[in-house]
Amino acid sequence: MAENSGTDPAVETNTEENAAASATIIKVTVKTPKDKEEIAIAEDSSVSQFKEEISKRFKAKQDQLVLIFAGKILKDGDTLGQHGIKDGLTVHLVIKTAQKSSSGSSQTSASSGPGPSQGNTAGTANPSPAGNLGTPQGSGPSPTPTQPPNILAGFGDLSGLSNLGMGSANFMELQQQMQRQLMSNPEMLSQIMENPLVQSMMSNPDLMRQMIVANPQMQQLMERNPEISHMLNNPELMRQTMELARNPAMMQEMMRNQDRALSNLESIPGGYNALRRMYTDIQEPMFSAAREQFGNNPFSALGGNTDNSGVQPSRTENREPLPNPWGPPDASAATTTTASGTATTTSSTTSSTTPSVSNPLGISSSSLGNGMFNSPGMQSLMQQISENPQLMQNMLSAPYMRTMMQSLSQNPDINPPPSGPAPAPAPTPTPAAGTNTAQQQLMQQMLQMFAGGNALTQTPEVRFQQQLEQLSAMGFINREANLQALIATGGDINAAIERLLGSQPS
Amino acid sequence: MMAASSGVKVPRNFRLLEELEEGQKGVGDGTVSWGLEDDEDMTLTRWTGMIIGPARTNYENRIYSLKVECGPKYPEVPPTVRFVTKISMNGINNSNGMVDARSIPILAKWQNSYSIKVVLQELRRLMMSKENMKLPQPPEGQTYSN
Repeated sequence: MAENSGTDPAVETNTEENAAASATIIKVTVKTPKDKEEIAIAEDSSVSQFKEEISKRFKAKQDQLVLIFAGKILKDGDTLGQHGIKDGLTVHLVIKTAQKSSSGSSQTSASSGPGPSQGNTAGTANPSPAGNLGTPQGSGPSPTPTQPPNILAGFGDLSGLSNLGMGSANFMELQQQMQRQLMSNPEMLSQIMENPLVQSMMSNPDLMRQMIVANPQMQQLMERNPEISHMLNNPELMRQTMELARNPAMMQEMMRNQDRALSNLESIPGGYNALRRMYTDIQEPMFSAAREQFGNNPFSALGGNTDNSGVQPSRTENREPLPNPWGPPDASAATTTTASGTATTTSSTTSSTTPSVSNPLGISSSSLGNGMFNSPGMQSLMQQISENPQLMQNMLSAPYMRTMMQSLSQNPDINPPPSGPAPAPAPTPTPAAGTNTAQQQLMQQMLQMFAGGNALTQTPEVRFQQQLEQLSAMGFINREANLQALIATGGDINAAIERLLGSQPS
Repeated sequence: MMAASSGVKVPRNFRLLEELEEGQKGVGDGTVSWGLEDDEDMTLTRWTGMIIGPARTNYENRIYSLKVECGPKYPEVPPTVRFVTKISMNGINNSNGMVDARSIPILAKWQNSYSIKVVLQELRRLMMSKENMKLPQPPEGQTYSN
C-alpha cells in the first residue's frame, strides 16, 4: 500500500512509446547531483538493462554506475519492478570514477561527469565523461598563456595602418604583435586606450562589430554558435562591452563577478552540468578558434546567464564561456594565432617621401616581419602616437597617407599599391575572398573615420548616408534632427533613434 | 499539507506516506535518497537512506547507506538514525554507526516539520564541515556488522 500512495503511475495507459509488445515502457528520471535525464525503459527490465540505457545516455561505463532508489542500491540482478520503480519516479545515479583524485578544479565547469566524481581534473585519464571534459579543459588554458586581448585586434589594425603607412604586412601578424607589445607594456595600453581616436573608434559599434566579424576564426565560431552572432548583433551589448574594454579595471571586476557567479553555479544541481556544457560548447571552440575578446565580453556582460537544466531556472539560458579560471589575462585574451603566412610588404612608400615620420617607419621597414614590433623605432613611434594623438592625426591627414590608405582599402590583397616600390617578398596571403571584402570594408570604415576625424573630405551627411536612409525609412522624416542624432551617437542608429524619440514630446 | 506552522497535526502515517512519495520522486538535489526498507512495511517504520559523499571531502565518491527508524511518535520525536556503511564522523558511533542524537543539531533540536530528507541532508552537510571533511575514512565498502 505504501508505495503507490501518491504516485499515479498510469503505467497501463502509457503506451505512447514504441508500443513494445509485451512490456509497457515507463519513463524514469535518472538524477545525478548535477544532472537529470529521462530514460524510457521497459517496465519489466532488469537493473542491468536499465544501466545499459543509462550508460549510453550519460556516456559512462556500466560498471561505473550506481543506482539508488528510495535509499537502496539497485543491484544488477534485480528488476525495476522489484524495487517498485514506476513511471515518473526518480532514480538517483552516481557515476563512480576509477580514480579518487580529489581535484582542486572545482571552479571550472569542465571537470567531471556528474556525481561525486568531481574529483577528476584534466590530468586524470578517465573513461567517464570526466575524461572527455578533462582533456579539453587541459588543452583549453594551455594554448593561452599570454594572450593579449583581441580587443586590440581592431586597434592593431589601426595602428598597423597608421604606423606603417600601409600596414599591409600580414594583418593578422601585425595585430598579434601589436597586441603582444601592448600587453607587455600596460602603461602603453592604457595610454592607447585613452587616446581619443581609439575611443571614438570603439564607440562605433558597427565598426567594432565589423572588425570582429572580419576575423575568420570568429566567423567560423559564429557559424557554429549562432548565439555569438546574436550577441554581436546586439548593439547594447556591444556598447557595454566596449565600455568594459575601455576600462580595464571594470573589466576585471566583471570577470571576477562572473567567476564568482560561476562558482556558485557549481552547487546548483544541474548547474554543474550546465557549466560543463557551456564549456564544451562554447569555450573550447573559442579557445581553439582563437576568438577575440569580444567574444568573451559579451558573454560576461550577459552576466551569469546559464542553464536550462530546469532544475534551477534561476537564470536564463545562455552559454557562457568560462572565461576566468585561468586568470583575467587569459580569459580576456584571445589568440590571434592566425599567423597565416608571412609578414611582408614594406612601408617604403611612406618612408621614402616623408622625412618627418620616415624615421620610425624607416626603421620599421628594415625590420619588417617578426621583429617589426620589437624594433625600437616602432616602439618609440607607438609611444609617440599614444602620447600625442595629434601626431597620429597629422600623419593621417597627410595627403599621401590618404591616397595610400584608399588604395589600400581597395586593394583586395591589402598589399601596398603597385606604385610603392615595395618589394613584397611574398604577397600577403589573405584568408579568403570573403574576408577580404570584410577587411576592405573595415578599412574603408576606418578610413572614413580618420577622414571624419579630420573633418575634411566627408561630411557627416555623407558618412551617415546609409543610416539616414534607414531612419527616414523608419519614419523619422526630420532629416536635420536625424543627422544631429547620428552625429551625436557616432552613427549608431539605435542610439540615434532613442535620442530622436527622447527629444520628441510624445 | 504539512501545515506545521498553522498548528495542525498531521497524522504520522500521512506524513510518512508523503515522505515516501518524495523519496521516490527524487525531491531534492539528488544527493540523498530514502525509501522504505521493506515495501510491505505497513507501519512505515523502517527506512533506508543513502547519502552521496560530498565532493572535496574525504567522503567524496562514496555512497553511505543508513537505516532510519521512525517510531510511533514520529514526527514529534526525531527518528533514530544509524549508518550502515562505515564512516568516521563526529557524532557517529565508531563501532555501530549509531548517530548520536545529541551531537547532530537537528536531531537534538528536532521539530516536527523536519523529515527524513532533512536529516539526511543535514548529515551530508556535516560531512562538509571543517571538522569532518578531512577525517581519514575507513576503506570503502565496509559496513557495521549489525
